[in-house]
Amino acid sequence: MAPSGLKAVVGEKILNGVIKSVKKDGEWKVLIVDHMGMRILSSCCKMSDILAMGVTIVEDIDKRRERICSLEAIYFIAPVQKSVRALINDFKDVGFTYKAAHIFFTEPCPDELFTEIGRSRVAKVAKTLKEVNIAFLPCESQVFSLDDPTSLYSFYGLKPNENKDKMIENLAEQIATLCDTLKEYPAVRYRKGPEENARLAEEVYRRLTAHKADNPSMGEGPDKARTQLLIVDRGFDPISPILHELTFQAMAYDLLDIKQDIYMYQTTGIGDSKEREVLLNEDDDLWVQLRHMHIADVTKKVTELLRTFCESKRMCTDNANIKDLSQMLKKMPQYQKDLSMYSTHLHLAEACMKKFKASLDKLCEVEQDLVMGATPDGEPLKDAMKSIVPVLLNNELEAYDKIRIILLYIFHKKKGITEENLAKLIQHANIQAESNIITNLENLGCNIIAGGRNAGKTLPERKERTGSTYDLSRWTPIIKDVMENVIDDKLDKQQWPFIADPAPINTTQTAVSSARFGHWHKNKSPPEYRTGPRLIIFVIGGVAHSEMRSAYEVTRATDGKWEVLIGSSHVLTPTSFLNDLKTLDQVPNPDC
Amino acid sequence: MLERLQTISEDHEDEELEFNGPEYDADKVTLSQQAVIFENSSAIDEVLKEAQFIRKEISLLQLEVERMCMQNERFGTSVRRLTLLKKDCDSIAKGVQQRAEALYVRLQDLGKMSSQLEEKEGPNSAVSRIARTQYDTLTHAFRAVMSDYSKAEEKQKNTCRTRIQRQASIMGTDITDEQLDVLVDKGGEGWAELSQSLQPQAARTCRMAFCEIKSRHEQLVELEARLKEVHELFLQMAVLVEEQGSLLNNIEVHMHRTQEHVDQINDHIKKAVQYKKKNPFLQCCPCLPLVSMLTPLYGSK
Repeated sequence: MAPSGLKAVVGEKILNGVIKSVKKDGEWKVLIVDHMGMRILSSCCKMSDILAMGVTIVEDIDKRRERICSLEAIYFIAPVQKSVRALINDFKDVGFTYKAAHIFFTEPCPDELFTEIGRSRVAKVAKTLKEVNIAFLPCESQVFSLDDPTSLYSFYGLKPNENKDKMIENLAEQIATLCDTLKEYPAVRYRKGPEENARLAEEVYRRLTAHKADNPSMGEGPDKARTQLLIVDRGFDPISPILHELTFQAMAYDLLDIKQDIYMYQTTGIGDSKEREVLLNEDDDLWVQLRHMHIADVTKKVTELLRTFCESKRMCTDNANIKDLSQMLKKMPQYQKDLSMYSTHLHLAEACMKKFKASLDKLCEVEQDLVMGATPDGEPLKDAMKSIVPVLLNNELEAYDKIRIILLYIFHKKKGITEENLAKLIQHANIQAESNIITNLENLGCNIIAGGRNAGKTLPERKERTGSTYDLSRWTPIIKDVMENVIDDKLDKQQWPFIADPAPINTTQTAVSSARFGHWHKNKSPPEYRTGPRLIIFVIGGVAHSEMRSAYEVTRATDGKWEVLIGSSHVLTPTSFLNDLKTLDQVPNPDC
Repeated sequence: MLERLQTISEDHEDEELEFNGPEYDADKVTLSQQAVIFENSSAIDEVLKEAQFIRKEISLLQLEVERMCMQNERFGTSVRRLTLLKKDCDSIAKGVQQRAEALYVRLQDLGKMSSQLEEKEGPNSAVSRIARTQYDTLTHAFRAVMSDYSKAEEKQKNTCRTRIQRQASIMGTDITDEQLDVLVDKGGEGWAELSQSLQPQAARTCRMAFCEIKSRHEQLVELEARLKEVHELFLQMAVLVEEQGSLLNNIEVHMHRTQEHVDQINDHIKKAVQYKKKNPFLQCCPCLPLVSMLTPLYGSK
């Protein structure tokens, strides 16, 4: 099943707009990328895709490269000084590194750099020069990232970053390229409160208008006038990135050490036991099915699917489990791909459950009671302190788990707690070394110390949700309420002001039907052509897995009428979030 | 944008004309590359030509597999000219198998060439990386085509089986899966017992149905035999794929594995030339070479 959504749109734009556009039969090319270009390319294209389009080797622009004079080069780079200098360097000496250059920039190139290129000899060998306007990573079909994990520090660090203005401009440009790629011209809204939200929103609006001037087709289409872009800060919902989630993707990234989406485990395949590395992304159909499911359902589903698969292929197996898989593989090697897929997910689910059963089941009970303010039976929580003390005194738990419980307790208290209470808690938990994580949350606008600088700020009220959920998964991220309100057009305009008044909504349906009947026979590329409005949410400071899941759930609930996209500068795991918070009060390293 | 760039370039050249005096202006050198020859470009060309050939072969194989699928469907749905259709199916399938085996051999040769290049030029040189990437990607593509072939044959097998079972039940005997397995393994015998239960009335229709079952059964037996032959090939490919690792197709991982190109030999030579030029003895005492030439003559005495 081909990936749909963001990945497909960006992948198609790169493969056709960049690589295929300069393809010549019988000629191969070298593709040169810088860090940003590589991340973008890697997130939506595979080696086999670009090789099929005439690229035979991919090089890193920052590394020293061999001369390959018989081949032309495609440069896919960000218009920053480092990359441009490297580009110019390639053609500086008498012997050129490549035969010719086709240059594609990820975003609009600033004038000084452009002139610098013009004055160099690159101008003579450049056969193509384009700005493709893709300056973001499509992580999933409805999730994007701007690939900047330092963003939390840049926005909320104690020592204000001098380059904050420049950084906001860069972010705004990246968000504008996202809208450009999707051909959307959304109404920009932000959460009223922290001033960064308003500044970023204004800058995004400015950039969007500039892009629209160059590309008037943005925002055209039936119902597109209702598309909105929301800017929200991390402090709006500090609970979701800290809570222990029990859905497959969130749990795996929280409990296991998964870096760059690569999961490593020991397995017996056709050969002996060896370490396998698997990429968890949307090319794995089973991962797409399982990633938002509760862990209890996951193991059930995988074993059921495996059994059906074995039966349909008439492989003799009584109980399809991990140990028999290697035998099956030897008997039927043509099913290697499917069998390894089942093996991976069985291992992953087992690893999650192992960690959970070891220490976390009691912890999750306490957490859910705290964040919901009530027990699973519906009774309000009477003595929160009593329930968290045994957790804090438990020496088997890690420091970060204890910090998470303390933070959830503080948020439960709504008005914050006194300094001495906090000190007592820290002492019970024996986490003095990490205690600044808790106080640093004040930088995000959260109410930690009662009567402190954020006094009066409270977390937003959440919707009452009925419906059966597991006792340990009662929490829904606050952003889900916001998404639903936008779609129902109920989001408060005072708390979420528009930058510019939105275009009047065309309530007549004639536009839609004419598009359906007038153009149905024309060849439209399926990923781009999406009737219906989109809701794009940008979270300053990082987005949590549960919030990503909410985007898919809300989209499904609208039966495909709306598409919700969510993204941030990077994707958070609880550990990475706490690590980021830890450094917020540090002086910036002058060398960086 | 390209025109804008070129206008800037021309303006810049006009400016530079005034400033460039006796300095060697690299811009004035003709930009044609014909005079520059590098040893590795012929190796690259060879690798790329071979890769292009294999790539084309793989797409032709894909077309054949698709043709086979279509032919199988026709065989499955038609009631006349069974033998003719069956022959076509068989010939296409055999053709696919032969092509696949030949391709596999060629792929392995490319793999050997790639390993040799890696040994000779080092794993980081451009030509060995090009060879390795082409080999890995082509193996990937080949495996995908074979997987499609296997699926098609499987589908055909299942169709045959269900048809046999249905027709046998029309005849009056029901055949279970295990019985059918046994029949297939025996390879064609065993029908005698079943046909004993044939009712003598309406013998003609039964006989026709019986013939049809027999022919489909033969096809099923041949299919199973073909799949067994290809099994070895699949096993080898599976081992290969497992060795390569599943992250092969990921661009980021691929790039992290490449290292900086170290132009070691050239650097040393450049340094040697510089040192020679700057040799103080040569500069201040030009008669030294004579002396140094004479000393061996005297030294040997």
